[in-house]
Amino acid sequence: MRALIVSVALLLASITLPTGAVTVQPSDASITRAKEILKGIDDLWRGDSSHAIFSMHVRTEHYQRTMQMEAWSKGKDKSLVKILKPLKEKGTASLKSGKHLYSYLPRTDRTIRLTSGMMMGSWMGSHFTNDDLVDESRMEEDYTPAVTFEGQRNGQNIIEFALIPHEDAAVVWGKIIMTIFANSLLPIEEIFYDEDGVETRRMTFSDYKVMAGAERPAVMRVTPTDKPDEYTEIIYEKLELNVDLKDSLFSINSLKHRH
Amino acid sequence: MQLNRLAWKNLWRNKRRTLITGFSISLGVFLSVTFTGTGDYTYTNMIDASATMGLGHVTVEAKGFNDSPTLDKRLKNTAKLRSEIMQLDNVSNATVRIMGQAMFASASKSVGGSFLAINPTTESAEFNLLIRAITEGEIFSTNDHRGIIIGSVMAEKLKLKLGKKIVYTTTDVNGDIVGEVARIRAIFKTGLDEVDGAMVLLPIDQVRKTLGYTHDEASMITVIIADQRRAEEMSVQIAAIINNDEIETLSWQQTQRDLMGLITVDKTTNYLSQILIGLVIAAGILNTLLMGVMERTREFGIMMAIGMPPSVLFRLVILESFWLAILGLIMGVIITSPWYYYLYYIGLDFTEMFDEMGGYSAGGVLLDPVIHVRLFKESIIAILSGVFSLTLISGLYPAWKAVKTNPVDTLKTI
Repeated sequence: MRALIVSVALLLASITLPTGAVTVQPSDASITRAKEILKGIDDLWRGDSSHAIFSMHVRTEHYQRTMQMEAWSKGKDKSLVKILKPLKEKGTASLKSGKHLYSYLPRTDRTIRLTSGMMMGSWMGSHFTNDDLVDESRMEEDYTPAVTFEGQRNGQNIIEFALIPHEDAAVVWGKIIMTIFANSLLPIEEIFYDEDGVETRRMTFSDYKVMAGAERPAVMRVTPTDKPDEYTEIIYEKLELNVDLKDSLFSINSLKHRH
Repeated sequence: MQLNRLAWKNLWRNKRRTLITGFSISLGVFLSVTFTGTGDYTYTNMIDASATMGLGHVTVEAKGFNDSPTLDKRLKNTAKLRSEIMQLDNVSNATVRIMGQAMFASASKSVGGSFLAINPTTESAEFNLLIRAITEGEIFSTNDHRGIIIGSVMAEKLKLKLGKKIVYTTTDVNGDIVGEVARIRAIFKTGLDEVDGAMVLLPIDQVRKTLGYTHDEASMITVIIADQRRAEEMSVQIAAIINNDEIETLSWQQTQRDLMGLITVDKTTNYLSQILIGLVIAAGILNTLLMGVMERTREFGIMMAIGMPPSVLFRLVILESFWLAILGLIMGVIITSPWYYYLYYIGLDFTEMFDEMGGYSAGGVLLDPVIHVRLFKESIIAILSGVFSLTLISGLYPAWKAVKTNPVDTLKTI
């Protein structure tokens, strides 16, 4: 469920959790219930617009870097992220508008519209792909959710969902298992599996604290399973929801301007 | 006629010398046949392999596609064009295809590559190298919209097996990014990593839908012809029947420039070395003929003294080299034939050497480790006439030398 990664990573506020439109597979009751809960989470997180400052820490076999970024979002399909630190890369920006993703490099003063070939490339050197950033609105059409477990685990009340992609959905995963706290309905963990049921990527949430008037996880970490020493971590420093943002902010022109 | 007999007899006055010279001429034939024959065979093989790898011997495409292949440039009325082309003589196969770039992703990884969207009903192993190279599974059927055929290297990189799903992302006609899921129906292995790791086959109907093409649009029609040497001529012929400024008809020389460049360079060095060998052989022939003339100056002197005109003497020496050339060519055919048949049917096997190098490819095609020969008719004519005229030309100077004989001078000495 890239939707979640994206949204949390970028916007935290305007997450669109899959609300699933299609039936089949598990029992209808379980699906309906899953949808209800997910809808609840959705409502809890959704804002019409957001403004956030976060830092991203990337650790790979070859390098390690920390960046501070500022992000704005409006609705589901408009978002803008700019690098604040390090100074060397200040001003580097990514703009998402609809299904397009643009990248701006201040050093060369060039705006690049990312082509399909670049979509699977790494986003700013992290473990997110560019595609993770763009693809979110389709998620509700792409998966069927079902509650697979409810109750105590490790001394906590949790709900576990399985999200199964539809046969025709352009999704690489075989399934996604997501666990949330039963009481607060906040996410704990998401595990991505391939078709053979082999875990490939894991996303964990932590450091729950009150931001923008509600409790949310401030730290989110993505780890590729085959390289357990690598990760990308996003730590929220500031979050505002439902702020007044102009549409012009999400234009190619504004990529070049400093805010 | 008298002169011919005289020339022939003269030739056999020194049997050993004539045979040795004849042998050096036949060696020329031998080397020429070996070089040209392997060239003719290898080039045809490479061109045909390259043509069946996607672009054909002749490609019909929207104007400008060859220089910058973007998906917004597309051919219309492809079905009609194809049937018109199929009716031409010498056309073995014509297929409607879409070619483009895409990203291919599995749960564990993603790689960039290019896709060739094909219509399974008009494709066959004979005219499509990738289908020919399928090692597992089978080509998707016409109504299998979720089928995909990928290479073994890509399958390994993406950790995918037969039947697993793969997501491909590309850019549609409006420039929007579109993604689709497909299931692996077959895996091919050509032995070329850059092909096995980057090329995939997709069903054309699905790709049309994904890209926003109508059911009669495609990137190109690729034409395979029976004889690769006629590609340029066929390209002109096809362009004439299409007769549309918006459509370009290109031969493989234009669409597969890497290969074209490689073959041109190889051919040039091949011809150059053949010319050098030819010159060395010609020098040998010249030497022998000249010696034969020099030691007969007295004889020539007498002949001229008793009234033989210099022009006849000139013709006599030229006739000697003519018969020597004929003799050399016959010897050449005799010693070359077994060698040629050996190479033609059995060939030189370099498999072990190639395996050590991990396969050998050039110009984007894998070379066959067994080297065979094949001679085109025009190559045979070129070799025979080349060696023949070389011998005749070598005879010019000795003939001139013979004519210059002064009867008085030669007869003075004993």
